[in-house]
Amino acid sequence: MSFVPGLGIAKGMALTMRRFFAPKATVQYPETPADVAVRFRGRLQLLYDELGNVKCETCFQCAQACPVECIDMGGFDTRGRFHIHWGAAEQYAERRQGSALRRSGRPVPDQEYTHFGAIDLAPVDAILQKYDFEKTEMLAILESIQGVYGYLPVAALKRVSDVSGAPYALIYGTATYYRHLRFEQAGHVVAVCRCTACLVAGGSRVARTIARELGTEIGRGPAASGVSLEQIPAHPHGAHSPLVTLDGKTQQLSQSGAAAWARALAGRTVA
Amino acid sequence: MSPANILPTPGRFPRLLLPVATLGGPTPPARPTDLDAAVAVGAFSSLRKAIDDLRAEGVLNALTESGMRGRGRGGLPIGEKWRACARAAGDAHYVVVNAYQSDPAVLTDRVLLQNNPYAVIEGAAIAAFAIGAAEVIVAVRVEATEAIKVLETAIAAAERAGYIGPNVLNSGIEIHFSVRPMQGSYMLGEETVLLKGLEGKRGQPEQQPPHTTTRGLFGQPTLIHGPQTFAAVPTILAGGIAGFLETDPRTFAGTVLVQISGAVTTPGIAEIPFGATLHEILDVAGGVPAPRKFKAMLVGGPSGAILPAEALSVAFDHESLATAGAQVGSGSVVVLDQSTCVVDLAAVLTRFCADEACGKTIPCRIGLRRLAEIGARICEGQPRGDEITRLTDLSADVAASALCDHERKATLSMLSVVRYFRDELDAHIVRNACPAGICHPKADARAGAVS
Repeated sequence: MSFVPGLGIAKGMALTMRRFFAPKATVQYPETPADVAVRFRGRLQLLYDELGNVKCETCFQCAQACPVECIDMGGFDTRGRFHIHWGAAEQYAERRQGSALRRSGRPVPDQEYTHFGAIDLAPVDAILQKYDFEKTEMLAILESIQGVYGYLPVAALKRVSDVSGAPYALIYGTATYYRHLRFEQAGHVVAVCRCTACLVAGGSRVARTIARELGTEIGRGPAASGVSLEQIPAHPHGAHSPLVTLDGKTQQLSQSGAAAWARALAGRTVA
Repeated sequence: MSPANILPTPGRFPRLLLPVATLGGPTPPARPTDLDAAVAVGAFSSLRKAIDDLRAEGVLNALTESGMRGRGRGGLPIGEKWRACARAAGDAHYVVVNAYQSDPAVLTDRVLLQNNPYAVIEGAAIAAFAIGAAEVIVAVRVEATEAIKVLETAIAAAERAGYIGPNVLNSGIEIHFSVRPMQGSYMLGEETVLLKGLEGKRGQPEQQPPHTTTRGLFGQPTLIHGPQTFAAVPTILAGGIAGFLETDPRTFAGTVLVQISGAVTTPGIAEIPFGATLHEILDVAGGVPAPRKFKAMLVGGPSGAILPAEALSVAFDHESLATAGAQVGSGSVVVLDQSTCVVDLAAVLTRFCADEACGKTIPCRIGLRRLAEIGARICEGQPRGDEITRLTDLSADVAASALCDHERKATLSMLSVVRYFRDELDAHIVRNACPAGICHPKADARAGAVS
């Protein structure tokens, strides 16, 4: 090929001009939103606050929304209750396998999670039968299970998930939300009323004092002494304010006497 | 309001300050579940009228004309709401009676269900007929055992007599009732949360719109009202609000149940006309007993506002209370005497609302906690910088980003203290003093921190 002066530059400029007018691959984000798949949810990341705490509140909304159940989690919920249920990696794998088998319609092994204590699961099956495996009756199913065992065993929740086909995250999300559902056997329960009348009468100070003495918080589960602190859902007819009950029995407490009473209670149950 | 209506029942709480909850309708029989006696005073006559004469369109027109508004937090005209629900397309329509009543101190709805179950059942049946629903779900608190018993007896009796059930009044229409006892969360009082609960899910509110009237229970059009609203419907169809206030029908529609507690002579439940002033409500309960002095009034439950004596002329209806920075809310009125510190109370109420928040919206979950902490700092005499500006700014942010009414109204108590009790707030912040003698002065807080 003969030498033509400037041909190289012309070729180069031709390419430049072609690219200049060609459609651009660069998206002017955020002015132009990127074109992503409908079910794209972004990259999952756990964020930390300035104190180094994970910002995730274990609200289970992501796990409930995940269409393929690839998100699952353990930890403490917003009220600081419950222990980590799915910790080690092999348990995630096991769980994934369980979900996959369930979707494929094959029987799922590993019915009982012995790790969390083996229990007789026959009552769970009977309850599911009674409610016709209906996911929308989940609240009633969980209440019935708690009625049988006194609490919600993890193995029972696993069984409900496996048999009814409801995602575990959905069941766990429901079970951790409602106050009356619990994950451990109830010991002694101190309950304080926080209705407006009791708050006006100093109920919050009494509650704070009792919480400090018992070493727990409302809804946090049992303290070391085995006593848990709860909230009375509705102020009963004719009860005085501020109202404090122990295992359902009304206690006559003055604001100043609450600390000594709670201390004595915590001490008694330890011994 | 005539004082002759006041009938306290000694020794029993809640006292009904009026004989029974009628919501403007005829007085129900002495034994509330007695169907024959209830029919004798007009129960189910409006349902018959609706099915035989008015038809669905006639019912909707009558309600729109009446200007009747919901008794609940929103106070929206129910005519439009019912029409929107009737028009919405779906596989099935639902009617939900929200008698959950989450405010732990308020018993008005369950007292209504206990005393006048057929009015609620008839109202809900008319609603089901008007919007084309075959299923009515009554959500009641588990603790309201008496109300559940009465309701179940009444539903069974009405079904046997053919007023509801598979063939309503021989018209071939099907309306089934079920009672669902619910428990476990304050937030269940919010309508979208209640629907989540009825679906067996975690109770967190949904963004509206789409409203529940088009996308509610199981994604189907759903009509939700409190029992008070449903109970007033038969009376309206029967020809207006009998015997209650002769006020302008365009601005007023019916009565509302109010639970009065706190520093009053006779605490209890009163049925008052919408638009009665707070002062009249205080008078119904006999005022503040002698040595104690009126200081303030907490209107609207835990997420309500604390109003001073100057605001007692405010009328108890949705607009007037909103202008005064309060809300109808749970229908609770707590009278506070001079021994109450309003700053402490507002901080405690905000803490309650923060603890009860479901955690779905971040400004609610974190903002309310920060608000409660600001309140606690002021009460402990350890304010940091310009707390009042921080408080009002944060409140505005929380309310503006609200997903549900809980978040929208939870800031009211703090804001009402800033608005009405600035002197007392300044005494805490500037002089480290609590005029009511409730809060800890700064010296104590420091001593506690050191030891």
